[in-house]
Amino acid sequence: MSELSYQSPLAGLAEPHGLSVSIREIAGRGMIDLRGLGTDAAFMAAARGVLGVDLPTKPRTSASWGDIRVLWLSVDQWLILGTRARAHELLASLREALTGIHALAVDVSDMRAIIRLEGEGCREVLMKGAALDLLDKEYMPGCCRRMRYAEIAALLDVVEDNVFDIYVFRSYAHHAWNFLCATARAPAKLKLFGAQEVPG
Amino acid sequence: MLVVKCPVCGAEGDETDFHAGGQAHVRRPATCDPAHVTDAEQRDYLFIRINPRGLHFERWRCDRGCGKWFHAARDTVTMEFKAFYGITELPPMDVIAQAKGQWAEYFAKRLGAERSRETGA
Repeated sequence: MSELSYQSPLAGLAEPHGLSVSIREIAGRGMIDLRGLGTDAAFMAAARGVLGVDLPTKPRTSASWGDIRVLWLSVDQWLILGTRARAHELLASLREALTGIHALAVDVSDMRAIIRLEGEGCREVLMKGAALDLLDKEYMPGCCRRMRYAEIAALLDVVEDNVFDIYVFRSYAHHAWNFLCATARAPAKLKLFGAQEVPG
Repeated sequence: MLVVKCPVCGAEGDETDFHAGGQAHVRRPATCDPAHVTDAEQRDYLFIRINPRGLHFERWRCDRGCGKWFHAARDTVTMEFKAFYGITELPPMDVIAQAKGQWAEYFAKRLGAERSRETGA
């Protein structure tokens, strides 16, 4: 019998050249969608017991513990990031801990593709496709939010000051990749937000 | 451009981050009293909407944010939002006081019904 195996939607794409920032796919990350009531103390305690960290309740924030990262998606929804190899194990322990509690945990590792932007100026690159002011102090490391990017739904995770992860649904992965590669070309680099050179 | 603010998660953005869901406070008659739904009531529920010039009450969804539905009071002339409030809530009293025409009638009826329920009459 044939075995099901995961293949990244961005597999086999040529390495982009001539970009002002580095763009690459993050593969091999496991993702678990967790839903439950943030007001339910039993639910929050059970999640904490498994993950080792409190689920973030402040909108658009994230929390980490070891190799686990929890992103706030909504008042009753979180995305748990870990390694793909451990996702099954983590899901099983979550489900066991949440027995009898009104909650839902699903492995969505294959649902989204993750693209990482790295380098000086990646905020400006992202702002070409977003309506958000990514220079605002809200978008500091640890911030995550869902947004409209290049006309599609995306999840933005600020990993470090100049390191951003963009999560898009896998059917849109090519679109997001092409849009990023086109807007990040070195000659198209924006200098809007720093000291501008005045043409002589 | 409309600047919308979600009362659930506090996200602020332009209207492309949100989804307009039509008129607020529309009641489905079959939910209230399934045994006695008249054709006229069902027609009104499906098709008849208020189209005011001035203050209007709408449903919106935080489409690219927390995904929750909420209510908004908007002036259809100036496009200014007067208030954002929860999906199970009524608008703030000062905004209700500004409502005119069919909306004023609606809120008078709704508040009257709630008052009589509280007093047990």
